[in-house]
Amino acid sequence: MRAQSPATSWGLLSPWIVAFALFGLYPFAFSLWASVTDYSPIRAGTQFVGLANYGRALADPAFWTALANTAFFVVGTIPFTTALALGLALAVQPAFPGRTFFRVGFFVPSVVSVVVLSLIFKGLYAGQGPVNAALRALGLSAPDWLLDPETALPAIMAMDVWSASGYYMIIFLAGLEAIPRELYEAARLEGASAWDRFTRITLPLLRPTLLFVLVVNTVRSLQIFAEVFVMTRGGPLHRTTTVVYYLYEQAFYRFDLGYASAVAYLLFAVTLGLAWAQMRLVRSEEPTR
Amino acid sequence: MSGTLRRWIWLGPLLATMLFPFAWMTAVSLAPVADLSLGLPASGGLTLEHYRALFRTAAVSRYLVNSGVVALLVVGLNVATAAMVGYVLGRRRVPGERLWTLGIVATLMLPKQVLMIPLYLVLARLHLLDTYAALVLPFAVDAFSIFLVRQYVSGIPLELEEAARVDGASDWRVFRSVILPLLKPVLAVVAIQSFLTNWNSFLFPLIFVDSDRLRTLPVGLALLSQTEHSVDWSFLMAGSTVASIPVLAVFLVFQRQILSGLLAGAEK
Repeated sequence: MRAQSPATSWGLLSPWIVAFALFGLYPFAFSLWASVTDYSPIRAGTQFVGLANYGRALADPAFWTALANTAFFVVGTIPFTTALALGLALAVQPAFPGRTFFRVGFFVPSVVSVVVLSLIFKGLYAGQGPVNAALRALGLSAPDWLLDPETALPAIMAMDVWSASGYYMIIFLAGLEAIPRELYEAARLEGASAWDRFTRITLPLLRPTLLFVLVVNTVRSLQIFAEVFVMTRGGPLHRTTTVVYYLYEQAFYRFDLGYASAVAYLLFAVTLGLAWAQMRLVRSEEPTR
Repeated sequence: MSGTLRRWIWLGPLLATMLFPFAWMTAVSLAPVADLSLGLPASGGLTLEHYRALFRTAAVSRYLVNSGVVALLVVGLNVATAAMVGYVLGRRRVPGERLWTLGIVATLMLPKQVLMIPLYLVLARLHLLDTYAALVLPFAVDAFSIFLVRQYVSGIPLELEEAARVDGASDWRVFRSVILPLLKPVLAVVAIQSFLTNWNSFLFPLIFVDSDRLRTLPVGLALLSQTEHSVDWSFLMAGSTVASIPVLAVFLVFQRQILSGLLAGAEK
């Protein structure tokens, strides 16, 4: 039998080694360094500034506005997306003619480019667009959705709930499929109502999936960018400036890369913190037996 | 049967509502005169005029070609590297195997936005900004794809490889003739997922490329919508439809693989 040669192993592994070093470790280390300097590629002479960039971000009202907008986005979308996704999953789980058709149909928004979705919704929300046409037909007032500081962010959030729920529906479906059928049958024999079966069997056993959906959706929502870029450019009055949009402006309009790197790490810290808190929260509610 | 009917009665309108934005997009792109409030032809008839206008616009045709070329390159490289690296990490002994796997998991956890600025600087230093390479190389080796293949390889019985080795097959021959054919299903998932992700990619192509002739379709459309002139909705919606057709086609043909790849991700 021919032995395995270590040279082949290294050869096969080499793409990852190169990519990880060049596009992973090195940029990571570089950005950590940049975040404690005043680095800018359009200016010579880089100075070590310690944690000043982090302090500057924490003292900048624009950063807090961006963080508040992002938090509002997360808190205002996730309950709706989760509920809609779970509802859809429950509706298309049992076998019935056309089940695959609905599963595929609800998933469609998840495969289309966010830029396309944002362009469509920019049209739907336009002054003369179909949303306002429907409102006028009902005799209601028709705001200029994306130009009004009060409605711009909620309008983007509504689109996000619509576009994201099909994806999480599929994740919930996987969780539902993993629940043993026998549990439902036993409960039915003992006369448990549909609601009882949902709250006593489905929800508790779906907890890991629920946690996964919450964490993944939170991490994704903290990174909202393309929607804002296409629909509002962060306006009106910075009411739709998310953290990543703020990061983009600082880095690629002002070329303040040291500062922007610090903002990126603050966002990373917030992401990790929230993910950790959600895991704690969902775990602690687990019934103790 | 009545249960099915009831399901259809409330799921049908719900699905129609969820898909209305796409119907609106298509209707506006086909309407002779855009009537935004309805998105339906104002005065009868459908026209392909906006699509003709789209393809007559040299810049937009260029975006489409760029998107296609970049997606094909990224998918090809992704499949090749995921097969190689995934196989090594799933099967062969390399020093520090656990460390490499840890690197992959860490990469999966790290939000891409944290690396957005440093990646830009690395590409600047390599003089790759504003080139096709900037759109391809950083995405040619993908941690998630490697992870999928690695998991899949662990499920392949070792005997198959050993039998080939007993027959005197070289490492390369084992990889090419024994392993690669067995990896086809998971490589299909990798190819489809990396196509969907890359075709729709926006933030990195926006940052890494500056010249109009290198722009991909999503970036081109996003910037077209922000000109100072009034927005030509028919034109934009025709462009949006064209941008959606490849992903929708791939999704409808390969929905099984796509959903299974998604579930593999959910279980990790």
